[in-house]
Amino acid sequence: MRTKKKNRGITALKARYGWICVAPWALGLVLFFIWPVIQSVVYSFCKVNLSAGGMNITFLGLDNFKYIFMENANYLDFMVESLVKFLYSFPVILVLSLILALILNQRFRGRLFFRALYFLPVIIASGAVLKTILSSTAAGVSNMQQDESIAMSMFSVSELVTSLGLPQQMSSYFVTLMDGITGLIWNCGVQTVLFIAGLQAIPPLLYEVSRVEGATSWEEFWFITFPMLSRVIVLVSVFTMVELITDPTNKIMDQAYAFMRSQFYGESSAMLWSYFLIVGVLMAALLGLFKKFCLNKWE
Amino acid sequence: MQRILPVKKRGSRGKLKRAQTIPLAIGRYILLISIGYLVLYPVIYMISSSLKPVSAYLDASIIYIPREFTFEFYEFAIRTIDYWDALGSTFLYEMASAALEVMMCSFIGYGMARFKFKGKRFFDVMLILLILIPTQMIITPMMMNYSQMDVFGIGGLFHSLTGIDLRPNILDTVWTFYLPSLLGVGLRAGTLLYIYIQFFKGLPQELEEAAWIDGAGLFRTFFSIALPSSSVVFTTVMIFALVWHWNDYFLPIMYLSDNFPLAVKIYDIESLLTLQNEWGTYASISTKGAACFLFILPVLVVYLFLQRRFVQSIDRVGITG
Repeated sequence: MRTKKKNRGITALKARYGWICVAPWALGLVLFFIWPVIQSVVYSFCKVNLSAGGMNITFLGLDNFKYIFMENANYLDFMVESLVKFLYSFPVILVLSLILALILNQRFRGRLFFRALYFLPVIIASGAVLKTILSSTAAGVSNMQQDESIAMSMFSVSELVTSLGLPQQMSSYFVTLMDGITGLIWNCGVQTVLFIAGLQAIPPLLYEVSRVEGATSWEEFWFITFPMLSRVIVLVSVFTMVELITDPTNKIMDQAYAFMRSQFYGESSAMLWSYFLIVGVLMAALLGLFKKFCLNKWE
Repeated sequence: MQRILPVKKRGSRGKLKRAQTIPLAIGRYILLISIGYLVLYPVIYMISSSLKPVSAYLDASIIYIPREFTFEFYEFAIRTIDYWDALGSTFLYEMASAALEVMMCSFIGYGMARFKFKGKRFFDVMLILLILIPTQMIITPMMMNYSQMDVFGIGGLFHSLTGIDLRPNILDTVWTFYLPSLLGVGLRAGTLLYIYIQFFKGLPQELEEAAWIDGAGLFRTFFSIALPSSSVVFTTVMIFALVWHWNDYFLPIMYLSDNFPLAVKIYDIESLLTLQNEWGTYASISTKGAACFLFILPVLVVYLFLQRRFVQSIDRVGITG
């Protein structure tokens, strides 16, 4: 046996080791990932009924999709709303976390403190507690002011606006903007961590060379940092996309679960997959543009 | 023990930077502090409101620090969300499966990073899909499958042949959490695997090669060489896994029918509080603050201990590959 192993060489041995490592994952993937994905895609084209003996599946074709897009009153509105939210949140989160990472990656006094502070959202900001904190912070102050907003409580907005001599309508824009920004900053934690890890992996040699050549830091960023980060950017984009899809305030998800709870499994799957596909196509387009204009140019 | 880390040369870059001008430094602090304010404000508000008696809300002179503190909202919050039972449940379902996931993913990630084998392309694609498709998308079939746990339809075939149903219903048991974690497809396993794979790819291979040649097998090499040198990545992955599991409210809502973990209680706190009608709005804000603080307290304590290591480990994990 031993000699046989040796004859097959170390490559074969390693291939076998590889399979040993991956075997449990392969089983898990089939049982808890691939098969459910196939099932739920199939459900979205079917009528699913649960009965005592199991479930009955009747093929419907595109009826579910026709129903959710044409007949359901809310779905299209929710879809537009959440796509708009995706379109502005996505770039803001990416740019903001990149800026934060660039700053936190520099050496300065109190760096450790600020890093610990900015990693706090990683610890706290996952769905449930964030939702409760933000909403109750807003409610605490806005009780007298009707409006639910954190910005209201953080800054005395109306006073600020009047003192600056701006028209009163400005205050509501300001409030919306600040609320949005606060929410987005709380979503930047993991992205910042990933960017910092990416920045640390850039060989310092490149910066030394560029400095010898006399590059400004602006050029350094665009010709070294940014291209070297391209893979992290893709990773962060994907992560952000998943975060935004599974956000607890996402109304499409709510709608889909409501349908699921009332046992409309087919319609619920159709909602989830159509939403996922549309966001996925958007993402693919964004990444495609990124690749065309940035990656190809660098290579 | 000597650590074998893919130490990225740091430091030289900082020194190389042009002498930093003062306005730049001031701008940096202004930016950091103002954004930090946005991050900290809700947390401070939460803690402050949880300690305020109701009268303090109506007193305009009190903003953050009330004249007298009260802990009654903490008592009330503990009763409302059934804190100790929920905490036990969090540990039973979520923390245990986080630990299983961290260990199992390290093994799978090691295999994916180190060895070339047939079908690896397939697993690479699967990894991307696993990161990309959240469990929320496939929750319906998951629940149906768990209610009749089956492996490759063998149980179903047996059922239709003999009429005996051997497929157990594992909904509402720990196995709905442990099984996927053990098989490397648990909560956000894709992201954890990705971090591991990138780390192991960057880990020098020479020591392991030496071990192969000395006749050490897979497990021996993994446990005595690869694992001891990957404490850095462990800190990162562990923090991520713990936090994600701690905050996960979605899967427990779907898989369990009672004995919910803490995250679910926080998620549902609005409806839990409306059951107590005699409490006014301010009291409910305070109770929410108290409940949230109790919820994040354990993670916060762990984070404070691991914080320095976590922050440093981020520098060294080398996620870019």
